[in-house]
Amino acid sequence: MEVPLRIRTLLVMLAGASLAVAQTANSQATPAGRAAGEKIFRSHCASCHGVAGAGGTGPNLTTGVFYHGNTDADLYKNISQGIEGTAMPDQFFNGVQIWQIVAYVRSLSATPVRTKLPGNAAHGAELFRAKGCSGCHLVKGEGGVRGPDLSIIGSQRSAAHLRESITDPGKNVSNAYWVAKVITKDGKSHSGFLLNQDTYAIQMLDFAEGLRTVNRSDFNDFGIDRSSIMPAYQDKLGASELDDLVAFLASLERSRFAQSGEKK
Amino acid sequence: MKSLVIGTLAATALFGQVTYERLLKAPSEPNNWMTYSGSYQSWRYSSLDQINRQNVANLKVAWVQQMPTSHRIEATPIVVDGIMYVTEPPSNVFALDAATGRPYWHYKRSLPAYNVCCDAVNRGVAVMGDRVFLGTVDAHLVALNAKTGAVLWDVEVADRKTGYSVTGAPLVVKDMVITGVAGGEYGVRGFLDAYDIKTGKRRWRFNTVPGPGEKGHETWPTSGPHANSWKQGGGPTWVTGSFDPELNLLIWGVGNPSPDWNADVREGDNLYTDSAIALDVDTGQLKWHYQFVPHDANDWDAVQVPVLVDGDWQGKPRKLIYWAHRGGFYYVLDRATGEFLLGKPFAKQTWAKEIDAKGRPVRLPNTAPTVEGNVIWPGVQGATNWYSPSYSPLTSLFYLTVWENKGWYLKGEPKYTPGNRYVGSVPDIDMSDDQGYGAIRALNPKTGALVWEHRTQTKPWSGVMTTGSNILFGANGGWLNRSAREDGEAYFFALDAENGKELWRINLGGTMSSNPMTYMVNGKQMVTMAAGSAVFTFALP
Repeated sequence: MEVPLRIRTLLVMLAGASLAVAQTANSQATPAGRAAGEKIFRSHCASCHGVAGAGGTGPNLTTGVFYHGNTDADLYKNISQGIEGTAMPDQFFNGVQIWQIVAYVRSLSATPVRTKLPGNAAHGAELFRAKGCSGCHLVKGEGGVRGPDLSIIGSQRSAAHLRESITDPGKNVSNAYWVAKVITKDGKSHSGFLLNQDTYAIQMLDFAEGLRTVNRSDFNDFGIDRSSIMPAYQDKLGASELDDLVAFLASLERSRFAQSGEKK
Repeated sequence: MKSLVIGTLAATALFGQVTYERLLKAPSEPNNWMTYSGSYQSWRYSSLDQINRQNVANLKVAWVQQMPTSHRIEATPIVVDGIMYVTEPPSNVFALDAATGRPYWHYKRSLPAYNVCCDAVNRGVAVMGDRVFLGTVDAHLVALNAKTGAVLWDVEVADRKTGYSVTGAPLVVKDMVITGVAGGEYGVRGFLDAYDIKTGKRRWRFNTVPGPGEKGHETWPTSGPHANSWKQGGGPTWVTGSFDPELNLLIWGVGNPSPDWNADVREGDNLYTDSAIALDVDTGQLKWHYQFVPHDANDWDAVQVPVLVDGDWQGKPRKLIYWAHRGGFYYVLDRATGEFLLGKPFAKQTWAKEIDAKGRPVRLPNTAPTVEGNVIWPGVQGATNWYSPSYSPLTSLFYLTVWENKGWYLKGEPKYTPGNRYVGSVPDIDMSDDQGYGAIRALNPKTGALVWEHRTQTKPWSGVMTTGSNILFGANGGWLNRSAREDGEAYFFALDAENGKELWRINLGGTMSSNPMTYMVNGKQMVTMAAGSAVFTFALP
């Protein structure tokens, strides 16, 4: 142990405070509360989770699966504070509003919807290798780093979004995958994902040399390519192959936090 | 063209990639800092000498990385070929440009509820190949891609719900990543683990509290009402150990027995708590152990960094370990055998008459916690603690952070329930009638004799580092307590390693609870120290 008494006491008090939230029942779990929650959801949550909550660039909320905790207190915490390590931001609503959103989100999965996708996920996994996807994408530690890590993509994106990303990858390119192209004054050229830029330098994942910083004072030429470096697979996959690949990607789920009393 | 591309990739694969061979020769690459303590021998010494005793007074802030965390930084950064990997507590990682501090990537871990005794901290990562390894407060070990921060594997080390966490920096040896656990205040059963760096599959586990049928189990109650106390016996392993490649031995410190301050349920010596252990790194088999405090009831963990030095011992060359333990004694051990060679106090202590010829402390009467309370030197945070010592081959001195302080030890009645505190009481420190003081001390490692000291008003929570220009970097920053009448200091300073004279200092204005390190990038020597929730890096103008 390595902590002074006063701080330790404070930590115990803080732990007690979060417990108090966990034990609060949702007083907004009423028709009026859910209706109010739906309004907020449509204006603030639907851009990622979809108007009907079925997902898009954010997770599908109609399945009854909540990867970051499935109690009301977990949902309250995740809506109010965001989720570290994900695109889920914190929100600025008051407590009543957050409980209304929780009530509405609960109603979305009152009858959990687990849509059976048409494809064959096992065959999709084979295609993922055979068609060269793993050359650029990581799945559970295997694969390249020239594209997004797809290890848990099934719990991050809707099936429709995955399908579109395969057939038309250039339609919506995250700025994490914009490509910086630099020619420095010594005539060398570098290209790689643009990680960061400021007044003085850019930081990139150089496709040839790894992480590097290039000072703007060394630029001879610099440009940012916002198109996707992923080829479109619209004409490279048959209809059933596309279904299979989507089914495989949709099956790549985030592991869930075990709840107390729940088997891991 | 194709062959050119492949050739370029092959050539660059080596740059920025740590190999076992590079780790073995880490001291010959002072531009980098590739393990928690800088080398397998854990000297926390760098041969860099661009910053020297003449110019150190000109040190300026080169960059600051403010971290969006409310927890204090205990990490030692790792630097490999211009990239710094540093943890943000609780369990996040930044990859930074070591020249500017600007981030390349940031791994942010979504955490469930976790149990940590003493703030949600992390002491750093380990690196190997294109991988960065992180232990987490929810007791997982994670491998990240060094270029992107993508998770390559994520394995559960232990069940967080029973009080385990991982706060220490892992250590990579050969193709394994070694990690310990924390949880000595929750009645965990401690262990040390080795995992395959490629797959995350566990290679071996050494339980620091032996079970029935295992050697050492007889040092715990084996019958009667407390026959199961070993199951909650503690012995965590939360500070990174050292490695001797010639002996193939991993040498690691083991923490306190549980419950901390009431030893009634655990009659016996309670092996291997409060011990140094030496394990065959390939199998995890115990080769030897040395227990600093049998049957500890004062929470005097042996979670110090073992400093491995080859040297003359009374006329014969010997493979030694220098170890200043939390209980206030400085020890020398033979690291091939674990043989006790020396035990001398380096600070005031009132619990042992001496360490006898066999290495067993001779306890003085009335030195355990009592129901009424008992004043004992050192206090519960020890005469030193987990923060790193340093050994300089130039001065041949051993340097450490010291607390001269007493504590008030109370004995309560602990009840074990999974995932809850199992301690027995809460001792008090910083006692109002005598708050004690701190010091950086230099010891003659062959005798334990004091060579010099640099006193500090505030008792430091930071370790020390020495360099090839005979500078010692240290800090006197305590935990800043905004409710106290006076704030603690937060000075980061440079001392002359030969005599302790102060050469430079700067107030960093935040809790300092980590260790300094140094590296070189673009031809400049940089010195890094964390304070508050920021990482500060200094260089000459």
